Amino acid sequence: MLALRLLYRDWRGGELRLLALALIIAVAAVTGVSWLADRVAGATEARAADLLAADRAVEYPRAIPDAWQSEAESRGLTTARTAVFPTVVLNDQASRLVSAKAVSDRYPLRGSLRIQRGPGAEEVVPDGIPAPGTAWIESRLLGLLDVSVGETLEIGAHTLEVAGILSFEPDRGQGFGGLAPRLMFNHADLPATELLGEGSRVRHKLLLAGPLPALDGFTDQLVAREGNAVEIERPSEQGRGASEIIEQAKRFLGLAALLTVIVAGVAVLLTVRHYAERQITGVAVMRAIGATRRQVLALMIGKLLWLGLFAGAIGAGLGYLLHLGMLALVAELLDTRLPPAGWQPLATGWLTAAAALVGFALPTLARLRNAPPMRVLRQDLGSGLLGAGVPLLAAAGVIVALMAWQAGDLRVTLSVLGAVTATLAMLTAVAAAVVYGARAWSRRGGNRRLLWLTGFTRRPVTAIIQIVAVGVGLMSLFLLAVVRNDLLSAWESEIPADAPNQFLINIQPDELDGVRSRLAEAQIDTRFYPMVRARLTALNDAPVQAGDYDSAQARRLARREFNLSWTTELQADNRLVAGDWWGDVDDPRPQLSVETDFAEEIGVELGDRMTFSSGGQRVTAQVTSLREVRWESFNVNFFVLASPGTFDDLPATWLTSFHLPPEQGQVLNDLVRTYPSVTPIDVSSVLRIVRTIIDQGSSVVELMALLTLAAGVLVLLAALQITGEQRRFESALLRALGASGRRIRRMARLEFWLVGLVAGGLAGLSATAAGMVVAEVLFSLDYPFRPLTLVVGALVGLVTVWAAGALGARRYYRASPMRLLREGG
Amino acid sequence: MLEASALAMRFEAPEGRISLFENLDLSIDAGDSLAILGTSGSGKSTLLGLLAGLDLPSGGRVSLAGQDLTALDEDERAALRSGRVGFVFQAFHLLPGLTALENVMLPAELAGERQARPQAAAALERVGLADRVAHYPAQLSGGEQQRVALARAFVSRPQILFADEPTGNLDHHTGEQVIDRLFALNRDYGTTLILVTHDQAVAGRCARVRYLRDGALATEAG
Ligand SMILES: Nc1ncnc2c1ncn2[C@@H]1O[C@H](COP(=O)(O)OP(=O)(O)OP(=O)(O)O)[C@@H](O)[C@H]1O
Ligand SMILES: [Mg+2]
Repeated sequence: MLALRLLYRDWRGGELRLLALALIIAVAAVTGVSWLADRVAGATEARAADLLAADRAVEYPRAIPDAWQSEAESRGLTTARTAVFPTVVLNDQASRLVSAKAVSDRYPLRGSLRIQRGPGAEEVVPDGIPAPGTAWIESRLLGLLDVSVGETLEIGAHTLEVAGILSFEPDRGQGFGGLAPRLMFNHADLPATELLGEGSRVRHKLLLAGPLPALDGFTDQLVAREGNAVEIERPSEQGRGASEIIEQAKRFLGLAALLTVIVAGVAVLLTVRHYAERQITGVAVMRAIGATRRQVLALMIGKLLWLGLFAGAIGAGLGYLLHLGMLALVAELLDTRLPPAGWQPLATGWLTAAAALVGFALPTLARLRNAPPMRVLRQDLGSGLLGAGVPLLAAAGVIVALMAWQAGDLRVTLSVLGAVTATLAMLTAVAAAVVYGARAWSRRGGNRRLLWLTGFTRRPVTAIIQIVAVGVGLMSLFLLAVVRNDLLSAWESEIPADAPNQFLINIQPDELDGVRSRLAEAQIDTRFYPMVRARLTALNDAPVQAGDYDSAQARRLARREFNLSWTTELQADNRLVAGDWWGDVDDPRPQLSVETDFAEEIGVELGDRMTFSSGGQRVTAQVTSLREVRWESFNVNFFVLASPGTFDDLPATWLTSFHLPPEQGQVLNDLVRTYPSVTPIDVSSVLRIVRTIIDQGSSVVELMALLTLAAGVLVLLAALQITGEQRRFESALLRALGASGRRIRRMARLEFWLVGLVAGGLAGLSATAAGMVVAEVLFSLDYPFRPLTLVVGALVGLVTVWAAGALGARRYYRASPMRLLREGG
Repeated sequence: MLEASALAMRFEAPEGRISLFENLDLSIDAGDSLAILGTSGSGKSTLLGLLAGLDLPSGGRVSLAGQDLTALDEDERAALRSGRVGFVFQAFHLLPGLTALENVMLPAELAGERQARPQAAAALERVGLADRVAHYPAQLSGGEQQRVALARAFVSRPQILFADEPTGNLDHHTGEQVIDRLFALNRDYGTTLILVTHDQAVAGRCARVRYLRDGALATEAG
């Protein structure tokens, strides 16, 4: 409690404000990111469950036995059934292949459906499923069958009334090719369709939702009993891609937060040293009047503990607000509801505060316990008490530990550490060159007295620390705000103006000529590609199982159907890197050419045999070449190409891509009206979405950079505080020597200007350099060097440091000479 | 109460080993008062620090309240000082962040005393600063600061009080006031007083006077 009281008195005396602020910023950065990541990850999990419409699903090739459903319910699980199968529906106008889906009550267990009661009507979330005898259909089926809401359709031996337009189905799945339009109806009508006979292709599912142990209990037992006949689907498999991105984003933000912690740590290091220096005599007095070293140590630890507790709580509060701000920034990207905020980030926050205090403050304060009591009689004793080696080592140790914790991986830790160290070293080197250069220059000349007198040249080490700290903050800000934008523009300008912006897919073979001539009429000359959707089922005759692959990408490829094509001619944006191209030669052997990255992912080499199956047909062919593809061309490209004839047995559709000038939009509308099953995809909107994601994502990181800058400003203020006594003394002395107050303030201003100009210019320079490296190495883009970035950077630096410096140093230059005398300088 | 025998102090200096004093003997009874005089640099402060156990001598022994200080480590000496020994310094050494009252409470708080606040208030009243309890050192004059230091020194009713030039930073009149209070303590509580001073008049009020000169203690000025 004595510690708390002493802490309170220190606080009241203004001793610890900067220290507390630095801690608060560090904790706010860490907790804000932690909360954001937690909740977004939670939302992603929820979304993954939506994609399955359940927490778990059991797929079975036959009708789900009633016993299973009642058994699951007796375990406290909620259930629903679905059955999906392709079938033809008809009315008196036409007939069409649809993907029919029968659903039972309570479907979907996770996520929700959206329907419209009529064309153009408002989208609503229905309560329940289609009533028996009715169906909801996808809007394109309205056109295809020329049917409207209220009319009837025949499905098998049954007739259904169209009661609504299905606009969203959570577990519809992605992938745009080859999907027949949906017709959804009530599971109770399924027997009446008489479509469940032998050999029909129905996928039956039992959807389950409820507590994890019950889910595991039920499915484990089912697998034990039924073996391979049942297939269990889990949400994580559907949403793994998203959660991997989230995981990486979390790491990245965590490291960004860590940068703030490090800069704030420097502020802690500086303020604590200043604080400790002023405490030496006090501690010597305490020791003289009987305090033991343990008492002193306990007192210091106690102070830090309380400080950490308070700063941690305030920092966590700020972090909470920060994460709300970040959520608002990415609101458009998160279309799902968020889980409530948890408590764990609070613990993270306190842990960070504790780590920062133990690493940055305690080693210095602990030295105080050795303050020599003789100091009360001889002021000069104990001046070298605090040392620098151990505190610096401890700080470095804590930084490495925190990084390892955030990055969770030694290699990442080391490379981030390397990058941070290199950046700091570079900033320090350039700052030192400038400061010492100015010093040498000012000493040589006659008429540069003002510069010679400023702290910029007289306190070079302090100036360098200030420049580097503010520079790091500004640099991360510029990197995100300016360089990111330039990179995006550079990337967009690389896309040729006539790059394809439209895809047409799902062109049936009998529609090919018609579509081709329509486009030709509109002066659009384009190439058409055949496309087959198939699953990779075997490699060198060994069955392919998704579970065999480590990477999520490969698992996804192995599970999904993907797009295959054939051609005689290699496109300009393809380059053969291994094997031979079959070309026009009459080689009847079925051959494949595989894209290199894909080949690596799935583990295919030249000479391997790949087996694909689609609609019950299987085709096996040998890989005779590997290709590299320049995907940025926006042309149609395929992972796997076959020699003509290879896929003749598989059902194919055609697709094309072309550049459609905006004023010719009508061509597309006419085309789609004539050929309703042809699906256009507007790529320019995809580009816009990419840009939105990058913009919103980086605005979150910009917030983090602002925090880093704030920490940098704290370092600046801490350095000011350390030199405060000296400034006070100098100012009094100069005044006594006849300098006017104006002149003294002008000198201080010059110092801040110089520090700010150098810090900002350096930040602009290093951000530009980083941008160039990133552009060259990661994206092979030409990054434009813009001198304006340096100028703007220098100005932003000047204003920042000037404002903060004027605020922080005000009192040193305002004190009346009288008071200075009384306080003994 | 306090006994020093064969006390020696040597320092390692750049120009070699220098000896400040050798073979000093000194003893003071409880309730007694002793003044140590000497020229600047003669070693008065060093001697005072050794007697109080703030530092260890290069040779010889000091015993305080029957305990051999030279046989104890730093923390044991601190524990022995706690509550028994008071200090008054030339530079006052009040903690700048604490009010007058809080400065006076400090020794009692360190000793785990529960009644620190009323005791400190009473001590301040005794030195005539009842109306200055909430002032910070910077808001007090030199004489007032030294009286706060005095209150801090005797708040825990020490058996022995060490003072190093307590009036060195004060004008004659203010210094006299402080010295008056010091001797009042000595008289009222029987506190043993050891004080280092330049001032003959102050020294004259002590029961015994010693001169530190050329590394030896003499009973007369030379
Ligand atoms: N730790 C030390 N290391 C080296 N020399 C020391 C040390 N402590 C004291 N001295 C030296 O011992 C001498 C006596 O110092 P001390 O402070 O005891 O003198 P003093 O009699 O109190 O002088 P003053 O009247 O000026 O206060 C000085 O020359 C001082 O430099
Ligand atoms: Mg002295």
